[in-house]
Amino acid sequence: MTDKQDKKLHGTYAEFDAVDTLLAACARVRDAGYTKTDAFTPFPVHGIDKALGIKPTRLPWIALICGATGTCIAVAMQVWMNTINYPYIISGKPFFSMPAFIPVSFELTILLASFGAFFGMLVLNGLPKFSNPIFTDPRFDRATDDKFFLYIDAADDRYDRAGVTKFLEELGGGYTQDVYDDDSSTSSPKAIWVVLGSVIFLSMIPLLLVARMRVTTSSQPRFHVFFDMDFSPAKDAQMTSSLFADGRAMRTDVPGTVAIGQFDEDLDFYTGIDFDALTRREPVRAAHLVRAIADEESDDAETAATDESIETADEPTDAAAEPEAAEPEVTGAPEVEDDTPWLEKNPLPITMAVLERGRMQFDIYCATCHGNNGRGAGLVHRRAQRILAGAWVQPSSLHQDTLYADVYPDGKMFSTISNGIRKMAGYSSQINARDRWAVVAYVRALQASQNATLDDLPVDKRDEIRKLQAEVKQRLEEQAEAERLKAEQAAAEKAEAEAEAEAEAANGEAQAAESSD
Amino acid sequence: MSEHTHKTKPADDPSFRLPASLGNLAIPLAIGGAVLLVVGVLIGLMAGPGEGIGPQRFTMSAYLVAFTYCFSISLGCLFFVLIQHLCRAGWSVVVRRVAEILMLAIPALAILFLPILFASWSSQGVLYAWGYEGYAESHGVPGEIWTEKVRYLSSDWFTVRSIVYLVLLSGLAVYYFKLSRRQDETGEVTLTERMQARSGPAVMVFSLVTTFAAFDWLMSLAPMWFSTMFGVYIFAGSILAAHCAIAMVTYLLQAKGAIREEVTVEHYHDLGKFMFGFVTFWTYISFSQFLLIWYGNIPEETHWFYTRLQGPWESISYGLIFFHWLFPFLGLLSRHVRRRPTLVFAWAIYLLLMHFIDIYWIVMPEVGPSLGGAGGVLATLLLTSGMIGLYAGGILWYTRVNQVRVLAVRDPRLPESLAFENI
Repeated sequence: MTDKQDKKLHGTYAEFDAVDTLLAACARVRDAGYTKTDAFTPFPVHGIDKALGIKPTRLPWIALICGATGTCIAVAMQVWMNTINYPYIISGKPFFSMPAFIPVSFELTILLASFGAFFGMLVLNGLPKFSNPIFTDPRFDRATDDKFFLYIDAADDRYDRAGVTKFLEELGGGYTQDVYDDDSSTSSPKAIWVVLGSVIFLSMIPLLLVARMRVTTSSQPRFHVFFDMDFSPAKDAQMTSSLFADGRAMRTDVPGTVAIGQFDEDLDFYTGIDFDALTRREPVRAAHLVRAIADEESDDAETAATDESIETADEPTDAAAEPEAAEPEVTGAPEVEDDTPWLEKNPLPITMAVLERGRMQFDIYCATCHGNNGRGAGLVHRRAQRILAGAWVQPSSLHQDTLYADVYPDGKMFSTISNGIRKMAGYSSQINARDRWAVVAYVRALQASQNATLDDLPVDKRDEIRKLQAEVKQRLEEQAEAERLKAEQAAAEKAEAEAEAEAEAANGEAQAAESSD
Repeated sequence: MSEHTHKTKPADDPSFRLPASLGNLAIPLAIGGAVLLVVGVLIGLMAGPGEGIGPQRFTMSAYLVAFTYCFSISLGCLFFVLIQHLCRAGWSVVVRRVAEILMLAIPALAILFLPILFASWSSQGVLYAWGYEGYAESHGVPGEIWTEKVRYLSSDWFTVRSIVYLVLLSGLAVYYFKLSRRQDETGEVTLTERMQARSGPAVMVFSLVTTFAAFDWLMSLAPMWFSTMFGVYIFAGSILAAHCAIAMVTYLLQAKGAIREEVTVEHYHDLGKFMFGFVTFWTYISFSQFLLIWYGNIPEETHWFYTRLQGPWESISYGLIFFHWLFPFLGLLSRHVRRRPTLVFAWAIYLLLMHFIDIYWIVMPEVGPSLGGAGGVLATLLLTSGMIGLYAGGILWYTRVNQVRVLAVRDPRLPESLAFENI
């Protein structure tokens, strides 16, 4: 042992034959006041932490705090994203909807709690530790086999080499051994560095390739790893297919197909055009339209009719024919008289039920752009303004002279809803014909509501409105009064502050003058 | 290993028997329970809400709450026993007999199921609305859908299924109880091996039966509603209640002098862990069921939760989140709580109360939008306490008369369980 004298002493351990002697020895060592101790056994021994006087671990607290942090981060992140930074309606849920946040919060809680437990365990155990001087003694290997070891660290305040050795022997340690520095080489084998270096180098190659590709152009087509994800094999509308003789991917309805609930309605109902009048005035055009509908064997009669009607209505003049085209660049074109004999009157009976239905459909399909009040400032428009969308054109207000019933017949409005106009798409595929008529009825009611006078109301409701008007007026006056007072007060304060500042400035000048004297 | 060996007492030690002070409670509890049950039924029929068959419907539903409450505890105990055998558990041997005694109530509860069976035969829909002949018209259900529905939800087929469930569950309970008791006398290791070998198929039978029984007995209260998770939801509540009941009964037995040295703080610690775990599991399952329906937002699925978010049910729904999950979750989180038997006992009683609220919340909103007024609430509480009295009294009576030990004294894993320690 003499050659070890110049090496650092780490501690002393003793070997025991049985777990009971070890446990008894542990308790004695603990009672003797040693705190920097450790025991090594081939299998877990219950109660050894108590015998060694090891304090309960702080790990649960670390895991708890990390878990709670995870919950807070997840909730805060989702609330910020979904309700503040990018409020976006998903599945019609509110921006702040806790149930949707819970799965992510739950996962992040678990993730951070596990990280806390795992990394906390490593830190508390001082891991990773690649070597321990105690491993230098081959006899210690039996700690994984059939022997039990008790170790007292030299860093312990009560450590004294001779005393500890004697004490351990007294406790029944059959063999005691001092632990010195590991005298094997401290430098790692060269092979490790070579392998590690090669792995790092090789792993850079894909990154470098990606980096290079990002700054160079290529004449080769892009490589598609998942071809059918980039190009869905499903067919879209208007695509061709070699499967069918006519080459159309989209199959049309079986001849004679009539959609549910649309069996015994007439042409007028689906087009908004008075066909009797049209036949009288322009038999060729009417016949053309009717033939188009009749000949359209495979397509839905309704779509054919409406397609044709928009074609005939707008044919001579394109979009500029529409007089209500509010966009200046469009109205600049010469206006052409729209001579289509539109239905003047809504074919549906105007009942509360129809209006309610119309309102529901309007609020679902129209209000997002036109706004619930029809003034053209719906949610989509407001968002477009907020994000400063360049190509955005404000949806038309439905409350303009050109859109009232006297110049814009119900049938024409029906056709507009069905086939769209300018940037607005047609809604015939989303809203069925009956509901489109209901929307027309509701829009008329909406227009009436914006220009109504008290006399339009039933007698028994007028007082109620008068009272509301008075209240609103009073509130507005109060507000104006309050604002005026506030403005006056602010002005007075400002004047006062200015006066003070002037006084101070004058004072300062005077002082300056004095000091310069 | 002197510290780890326990002196094994002889198998006929008095501390392995039901304490006399508990055994003497059997008859008073059973009689008191039966009286309360009858009084509850009478009050329900007289003061229950609604017109016509309204009070009958209310009373039968309250009876179903009471029955389901007791049955779910025994059901959970049956699963506890099966799962201990399935995973060859050592720690649980000292408390397994308590679960075995509790699960043996299943055959007795099968008799108390008879009123529910009779009610399901009513063409008025006294308990199950699908029994009412005019249901489809009065609820606007399309005829062709209803025709398909009643193929499954018919009283004959319901009766057959219910009998199959009860026979299978009773069979399992009796089989495992008998084998375990025979081992008390003979100490054959082969009995343990046999129970273990059959626990796998038994668990499969159990889970199928539980799922379908939950569908038939509880989910069909709202005939047009469906949730494939419903069976797991009922199971989650049952297994939680079972662990609570085992902890509570063990604590009471120890308080009266039985198995004092055998069940240690380590076993309470494990029961506490399972209570904590199953509180979270219950929440996980019930939330998963809710989330999918909430997200999908389809009227035929959401109406079940919509009903439970109206009137007084709304506060109970939110109450369940806080008092069936958050409060016990935080309360049982700490190891220090789970290593104090008195606290584990207190939490067990609390969670058994919450389990009642859960069952109540599952069943009663289907009767009507209100809690049923003072008379209705009183009837529900009386019926449930009566059923619990009958249940507890019956179990104690059987244990006392048949001299059932409260510990599996010759189980080959008993020494392991006695020496059990959490690290």
